[in-house]
Amino acid sequence: MTGSFGSDDRQMTNREVLRSFVRALRYIGPFRNRFLVKFGFLFIGFIAMLFLPFPLRILIDQVILDIPFAEQASRFPTFVQPFVALLEGASRGEILVAVLIAQASLLVLVGAWGISGKEKTEANGGLNNGWDIATKTENEANSGFSEIGGVLGWLDFRWTIKTTQLLNHHYRSQLFSRIQALPMTAFDDERIGDAVYRLMYDTTAIANTCYKILFTPVAAPIHILMIVAVMSETYGSNTPMVYAGLGMLLVAGTLTFPASILIRRFASRSRTTGATTTSSIEEGMSNMVVVQSLGGEKREHARFSRDSEASFRQFRYRQLAIYAAILAGVAAGSFLVIFFFRYVSEGIIEGRFSPGDYAVLASYFGVIAGSSIDIGTIWIDLQTEATGLQRVSELLDAPAETDRPDAITLPRIQRGVAVEAVDFAYEPGTPTLRGISFEAKVGEVTAFVGPAGAGKTTAVHLIPRFHVPDSGSVRVDGVDIAGVAMNTLREQIAFVFQETVLFDTTIEQNIRMGRPEASETEIRHAARIAGADEFIARLPEGYQTRLGHAGGKLSVGQRQRLSIARALVREAPILILDEPTSALDPETEQRLTEALREASRDRVVIVIAHRLSTVRDADQILFMEEGRIIEKGNHAELIRNPSGAYRHFVELQTRGVA
Amino acid sequence: MDDPLAQPTSSQNSDPHSGQATAERYREFARLGQGGQADQLSFKLVVGLLRRGFPLLVPVKKPIIWLIVGWTLLLGLGFWPGILVVQAFSNGVLNAAPLSEAQALLLFLPPEPFVGVEHLSAELRTELVSQMVLVVTGFLFFALVCFLGLEYLLIYILQTINQNLRVDMFDRLQSLSLRFHSEQRVGDSIYRMFQDSAMVTRLIELAFLSPLRHLAVFLYSLGIVCIWDPWMALVLAFGWPAVLVVSYLLSRALRGGFRAARETNSGLTAQIQEVLEGIKVIKAYSAEAREQARFEEASWTAFDAARVGRNRFVVYKLLVFQMVGLLAIAATGWGVWLTMNGEDLFASDLVVALGFAAVNSGRWDLGFLTNFRMRFDDGTTSIKETMNLWGKLQDVAIGLDRAFEVLDLEPEVEDAEGAAEMPPLREGIVYRDLSFRYEPDRPVLRGVSLEVPAGCITAVIGPTGSGKSTLVSMLLRLYDPDEGCIEVDGRDIREFTTESLRSQVAIALQENALFGTSVRENIRYAVPGATDQQVTEAARVAGAHEFIEALEHGYDTELGERGIKLSSGQRQRISIARAVLKDTPILILDEPTASLDAVTELKVLDNLGRWGEGRVILLITHRLSTIRLADQVAVIQAGQLVELGRHAELMQLPGGKYRSLVETEADLLTEAAARA
Repeated sequence: MTGSFGSDDRQMTNREVLRSFVRALRYIGPFRNRFLVKFGFLFIGFIAMLFLPFPLRILIDQVILDIPFAEQASRFPTFVQPFVALLEGASRGEILVAVLIAQASLLVLVGAWGISGKEKTEANGGLNNGWDIATKTENEANSGFSEIGGVLGWLDFRWTIKTTQLLNHHYRSQLFSRIQALPMTAFDDERIGDAVYRLMYDTTAIANTCYKILFTPVAAPIHILMIVAVMSETYGSNTPMVYAGLGMLLVAGTLTFPASILIRRFASRSRTTGATTTSSIEEGMSNMVVVQSLGGEKREHARFSRDSEASFRQFRYRQLAIYAAILAGVAAGSFLVIFFFRYVSEGIIEGRFSPGDYAVLASYFGVIAGSSIDIGTIWIDLQTEATGLQRVSELLDAPAETDRPDAITLPRIQRGVAVEAVDFAYEPGTPTLRGISFEAKVGEVTAFVGPAGAGKTTAVHLIPRFHVPDSGSVRVDGVDIAGVAMNTLREQIAFVFQETVLFDTTIEQNIRMGRPEASETEIRHAARIAGADEFIARLPEGYQTRLGHAGGKLSVGQRQRLSIARALVREAPILILDEPTSALDPETEQRLTEALREASRDRVVIVIAHRLSTVRDADQILFMEEGRIIEKGNHAELIRNPSGAYRHFVELQTRGVA
Repeated sequence: MDDPLAQPTSSQNSDPHSGQATAERYREFARLGQGGQADQLSFKLVVGLLRRGFPLLVPVKKPIIWLIVGWTLLLGLGFWPGILVVQAFSNGVLNAAPLSEAQALLLFLPPEPFVGVEHLSAELRTELVSQMVLVVTGFLFFALVCFLGLEYLLIYILQTINQNLRVDMFDRLQSLSLRFHSEQRVGDSIYRMFQDSAMVTRLIELAFLSPLRHLAVFLYSLGIVCIWDPWMALVLAFGWPAVLVVSYLLSRALRGGFRAARETNSGLTAQIQEVLEGIKVIKAYSAEAREQARFEEASWTAFDAARVGRNRFVVYKLLVFQMVGLLAIAATGWGVWLTMNGEDLFASDLVVALGFAAVNSGRWDLGFLTNFRMRFDDGTTSIKETMNLWGKLQDVAIGLDRAFEVLDLEPEVEDAEGAAEMPPLREGIVYRDLSFRYEPDRPVLRGVSLEVPAGCITAVIGPTGSGKSTLVSMLLRLYDPDEGCIEVDGRDIREFTTESLRSQVAIALQENALFGTSVRENIRYAVPGATDQQVTEAARVAGAHEFIEALEHGYDTELGERGIKLSSGQRQRISIARAVLKDTPILILDEPTASLDAVTELKVLDNLGRWGEGRVILLITHRLSTIRLADQVAVIQAGQLVELGRHAELMQLPGGKYRSLVETEADLLTEAAARA
């Protein structure tokens, strides 16, 4: 099965990437006000960064070198002037104290006092406990960050983390509801892990992309412009230095492409080997009984050890590729830094700048260069998110089970179900059902019999619309179920699946799932009929026993009984049982068969069974083979045909017992 | 309640080595992930974990020594020229002061015009800048390469530790009894292996390696600051304990927050997994809305917990930074004050001797101030980083007790000392008064005594949950009995090595676990060396050959995750083939044919009957047609053996359990046959 939301590991085209970003921007919609406030915090940070180098410049020029404010070669920008005005005429000692106070205030307010990144902190709540994807995405899902620290940075952090979480929650919930609405053919066990991955890990790409798309391309140029404006006010124009800073954009832009291709190749290998390791251990653990009972421990050990080692090696290769990229980047970027350094040094030697100006210019150059690198790498940076975004979008777009707009409410079923000439194929070309027709009336038990793989399960799945026929129709009381609101249809069906599914809640809650408003007496009654009451009573906590994952320690038969009880308590007019008795002992089965007979008085009962004892009393027996119904009738009728398939089936079972 | 066997006896409770005690520990262990431990994690425990982690370093001690040597050299080499260059730039370039000889030497400049003059001319200053750029760039590039090399070495060390740990944990998990695995979710075990081994590795990095690096930086910085001004060195040294107190006070809150965040998140993942696995039922019962609400609630719970935890972490980081920042600002002020007043450096002779300054100029100036600030900042930064490490350590420590716990768990089923190889089975198996319980108040088997001679098919029947599967599992020592024993040819199976015991048993289970390899590999699982012909032969016996051949790639068809593409009847037959191929004297079939239709079942059983001659065959089943094949029938009810004998004998017992079971079924069948 190709599945309705499978995507392979192929590379996305740039166009697709771009489209997914445009889409991500739309995702911001409900949260735009929160994003606006976040922008506000960002600009407060920018202004702080603009102010930051000046106290240090005053320390160097006015306090240490004793240059009077008036003789300074360069001016102070407007927003620093009020501070300077305070200091004019003060002694060097007084200026020192004032500057220290200013720095301390900046520290408390925005968590920075010096000029470089080292003397600044950021309110970033990322945890740090391994290199695994779960931690990484947990950090992303709760990404709270700020460009600044101190009180403002803390507020910013709080605001951001809440925004991220609101966004993630919003889209996770949407995705979850979408997954629940997917047709059942979209799910086999392999896809479950994939869906969990999309839901828990890929959704974080939305918030991440939103931040990256909005902040770097919009905010970084604004930041650069602000700095250019302040510099031209302070120093006249400093075009060469600005160009040198912007040159980083070029370096980053040209280098990241080849580097990212290299790194991506290694990263993808690293991921693949990682996945191999995980699945090899997962298999070993899930099949522990087999491993232990067949003595496979040594082999499992060797397999795991080898896979794990390989994944580590691939990770190291990836790391080496990253180092190579870093070295290349540093080599290229160092020319620009050298240019800046010489430019400023010469300015100081020529007397255009004071020594204190070095602090200011170095800080500003750092910002221009850093922002340029951000802009230059944004495309590559976003690529990593694009895959996640696409995987999320795919799922949001996957065809879901939906009602037609004119879907009607199905009234309580009175007569029965009719399947008319239905064809159905999971995969085109290999039909599972071929033109099957049957009727199952209220008041009758209909039994499906036939060899494994004949299509019995698929046939009964048509009734709750788990599968939609390729041709033909399914009618309930004469109404085609394709035009019926799905909820009103499924409300009237109780289904017992071949493979029992229980949830990690109490026994009572598991049964109650059939009908949430059922009373305790009704639940016990259903359990008694299903033959579950006895073993439940033996459990120390009885009906309140928590089952553990997938039914935990209950035996197959016990689990089957619980799922039968769940169906019985539903009291739905249609009851479908897919091999309900395969793991039951004859006594329980006998009781259940009687209960079914009893229940069928005012219901449609459809049962798939292998055992004669379950089938014998059915009002109608449908014998299926290779997707067709080849015999139809009750036991007495069918048994009369000496060469009939059903008779053959009965003979095999009874041979020698009597 | 009136059944004395239903109550655990006191002797079992007090004996720490009994199966009960171990089971209790396993359950304890299972609960660990669910919280409650956070507050018991004390400072002492963290230290204890460090002690625990230390032995893991032993296998990689050589690379670690290289790493430490590398760091020390790189740092030491970096400091001296670093200071010289800053000095040359601040004084020479910015202030036109002459260079010291050492500075000139380092920058490959002739001493003549640069050293010992009053002022440097503009041309000389420009030349100095050019030379500096060349030398510094070259040096930095070299340092970067060394640094990356050391980083790589670090990663290699950590990965090796991680690999050793993972493999250890994997082995440990494999050797634990099924009782342990039935308490655990598969995902949980896997999560634990990957996450916890990564966490232990992370602990080693955070607790042993990174602090070493920070300590080195701190000591270097402290030493240099001390040369400048010992009072400030004292301030720097005392910054440590102050920050430490804050850390200690906040660490409990940090841990609690981290733990809650981790738990709620893994709970959420488990919940999603469960819903998706049960999507059929949810759809069939229209429970989507309820599940949606449950999901959204769990999602917010996880987010809330994450926010609280992270907020604490951020507040902690910011607080530490504020303290460190205030120290640094104060130090700057002090340095500026000294510079303003032109004070001498504390160890001005030493400064001159090291070449940091020209002769007779061991006084505070812009260059020394800059260097002072930079070294002081290095010192405070290493304090800050160490404290961040402490914060991260809290996060890591939460998972650690669990990680080590896996390694500490004693396998419940272990070979006795001097266990012997089990000789090939000759006579048969005897269950002697066997009792077993998974949980203290839930006995599964109660005093079962049963003889299973070789050359005889024994059918074990009984109602669902009566203990049939457990009875046969114990023969494999997947569990050990609480009382009584199982004997093979008169010797307790606990006298033999588990491996030799299991090598004589083949089993086909009710739930058919297949691996994600080819059909052939799956059948060959127990006997990796089996030839293709043997595989085909086994498949024939199991009635699987025909459908396997009909698959697109025949025996080479790959089976998906847990063999999902096959029907349960087909999976069942493959696992029977696997058991047959093992060709052992003991064969256990646990409801081997439950999912087969009558035709196939009959064929498979016929084959097995012929194949099984001379072996001990234990058969768990419900079906009369299967039971008919047996030489003796054991009827189990509520964990006790209630009837034993041949089909015919048991049918004679009036009011017998077996008879009533058969009659229920036979009535229907005879009636059906009569009609036919």
